Amino acid sequence: MQAFSPFLALRYLLIRRINLLSMFGVAFAVWAMLVVDGVFTGFVSDIKANVRDSAPALLLTGLPHDTGYEQLRETLERDQDVVTTAPRLRHHGLLQATMRSALGARGQRLQVSSELEFDHSDNGFALLLGIDPLREPDVVPLAGWLRRGPAELRRYGYQPEPSPVLDDPDPTRRALLQVPDEVEWRARRRAGLPTERELADFRAVWPGVLLGWPRIRSFRWLQEGDPLDLLVAAFPTTDAAGDAVLRTDSRPFAFAGWFGSGNRRMFDETTVLVPIETLRTLLGHDIHDLESIDLVTDVAIRPRDGLSDAAIAALQTRLAAAVQPLLGDGALPCVVYDWQQQNSVFLSAVELEQSMMEIVLFVVMLVSAFVIYATMHMMVVQKVKDIGILAAVGASPGGIGRVFLLCALAVAMIGAALGTAAGWLCTTYLNEIDDFMREHLGAELFPRNLFDLDRIPCHLAPSWIVTVAVAACGLALLVALVPARRAARMNPVLALSYE
Amino acid sequence: MSTSPPVLAAEGVEKHFRLGRRDIPVLRGVDLQIHAGEKVALLGASGAGKSTLLHLLGLLDKPSGGRVLYDGAPVHDLPVAERARLRHQQVGFVFQFYHLIPELTALQNVLLARMMATSVLGYWGQRKQARAAAKALLEQVGLGDRLHHRPAELSGGERQRVAIARALLAEPKVVLADEPTGNLDSTTAKGVVDLMFSIQQERGLAFLLVTHDEGLAGRCDRVVRMRDGVVVA
Repeated sequence: MQAFSPFLALRYLLIRRINLLSMFGVAFAVWAMLVVDGVFTGFVSDIKANVRDSAPALLLTGLPHDTGYEQLRETLERDQDVVTTAPRLRHHGLLQATMRSALGARGQRLQVSSELEFDHSDNGFALLLGIDPLREPDVVPLAGWLRRGPAELRRYGYQPEPSPVLDDPDPTRRALLQVPDEVEWRARRRAGLPTERELADFRAVWPGVLLGWPRIRSFRWLQEGDPLDLLVAAFPTTDAAGDAVLRTDSRPFAFAGWFGSGNRRMFDETTVLVPIETLRTLLGHDIHDLESIDLVTDVAIRPRDGLSDAAIAALQTRLAAAVQPLLGDGALPCVVYDWQQQNSVFLSAVELEQSMMEIVLFVVMLVSAFVIYATMHMMVVQKVKDIGILAAVGASPGGIGRVFLLCALAVAMIGAALGTAAGWLCTTYLNEIDDFMREHLGAELFPRNLFDLDRIPCHLAPSWIVTVAVAACGLALLVALVPARRAARMNPVLALSYE
Repeated sequence: MSTSPPVLAAEGVEKHFRLGRRDIPVLRGVDLQIHAGEKVALLGASGAGKSTLLHLLGLLDKPSGGRVLYDGAPVHDLPVAERARLRHQQVGFVFQFYHLIPELTALQNVLLARMMATSVLGYWGQRKQARAAAKALLEQVGLGDRLHHRPAELSGGERQRVAIARALLAEPKVVLADEPTGNLDSTTAKGVVDLMFSIQQERGLAFLLVTHDEGLAGRCDRVVRMRDGVVVA
């Protein structure tokens, strides 16, 4: 490379202030790419981790309504890659506070925060998920859910304690999510319900119900053990004419605690956890009928640890094929979903949002590249005479073109360096910046409550920093090729006579 | 006239320009030879083809016909990069409007000629010698105290002196001057011409001077007159 090319490129760069605009454009684009993608990557990573915690690794679903769990369990657990399974029964119901009027005064007193209530109109509808509390902890981190629910609520000023129902040493009581005798006894007394005079004579009978923590918007006055009525409706039988007969049933449950699975939107806001045996009974299944008592709609499956994605996919196919013959002739194909497929709508929406944001950022990068192109083009037009002079002094066309290429490269490199430094600083101190802006300017960069986050998640991978910086420089070089080529191919005689 | 082979020669050089569908002949078979140490004045009215011939001889443009020879070797058809290299080694240009890079100081404008010949690392290794040579040249042309002034801060005569120093730094064999005094007052012009001729004599350069000025032409060893694209005398 002839020495004059970098020398002149540097001169043009330093003297022409228009280059500052290009540098700022590149720096802004790189900064935006790093900060926005860093936040989104951190956000998606957190979301995925939360959603992962909220769902079993595999879920067998699409089962006919008369499917029993036991035969499925035997078939599923026979596979060498399956560690264990847990039955699940999905239904829907209405949740109503028992004796709420008696508790109303306390409800007023316990109101701590209205932050959660701004957009909510709870009609009591609930997606009921019947679980076997003895098996469910083997397929999802249920104990973690019970810790997470109160932890989420503490961020809003509530002070609930984690539910102790999984710690009960009695498996029969644990299977029904029952609160301790003393808790139910005191709750009955608070609600004015008939009960033994002495606690020693009392044995808890209500099965427990676990509520997703966002339901505190409707039940902020609830204390552990308080009664909740659960109403379900089903068409379990037909009449003589063969028409389905609607059957409704309700029974009291003891509020056993708050849970938080990590998937607020798709799970915690809508779902309540109840003992699967109680739900079966509510739906009209005879507890003494062995054929009906183990009905399930889904089976949660825990595969062996360390399986590759390909092995998981093969296992899904294998399990579905193994189960299908048990479902009887004419049954629709059952499916085994992995945790991502179970939340595909939500995850797709988040990923689509990230993709859209990346497209927008790419457009920002293109705009900055266009600014470089425009600047270089303008510089070539303004420097036509210089190009003629350089040619007359003996510059090769390649050397002349390189002046402008190097100028663009220097602009991009300085801009990328500034953008990278600014991006790194912003992502490192993003929460501090957000705190400062919220406290002093009343502006919030990232609505943490909207996404139930304590801190703005941010993950800036070194490989991404390098990719963005190199892409910015590469793009600048690419767009500068056009004006540089024009400069290199300029007729020196015409250039010298240019006015 | 010297008996040594010409440093620079044109043999039947033609040049046509296309203007729309029209083919306009500017040079119609020009023959010219310049020997080392010879000062040649090229006289002619505007449009006679003087500057076009100068550009062809300086390898800034390619002839439509005929040949351009340096030291007896044809060079008009060389690839563009090779012509650029040859231009740098063999030819120094001095223009009427000086043609200095406005962003560079006088010293940097002169050094530019050295930077054309070397790579970045090569130049870095010899930068002190290069600066010394450029300074010496600028001192020779009387600008020793104007080294770090930009063209905008120099008078017309000073600018032309910088251009002369730049043309000479690469130690060319030929200097092609296109009306070098055309933009200067008569006193300044005389000073510039005296300087050019003294350096030409000192270095034994072949010197082709395009001018309208009969007086200036009279100071040259030979006068070539052009009219309508041909040499008439």
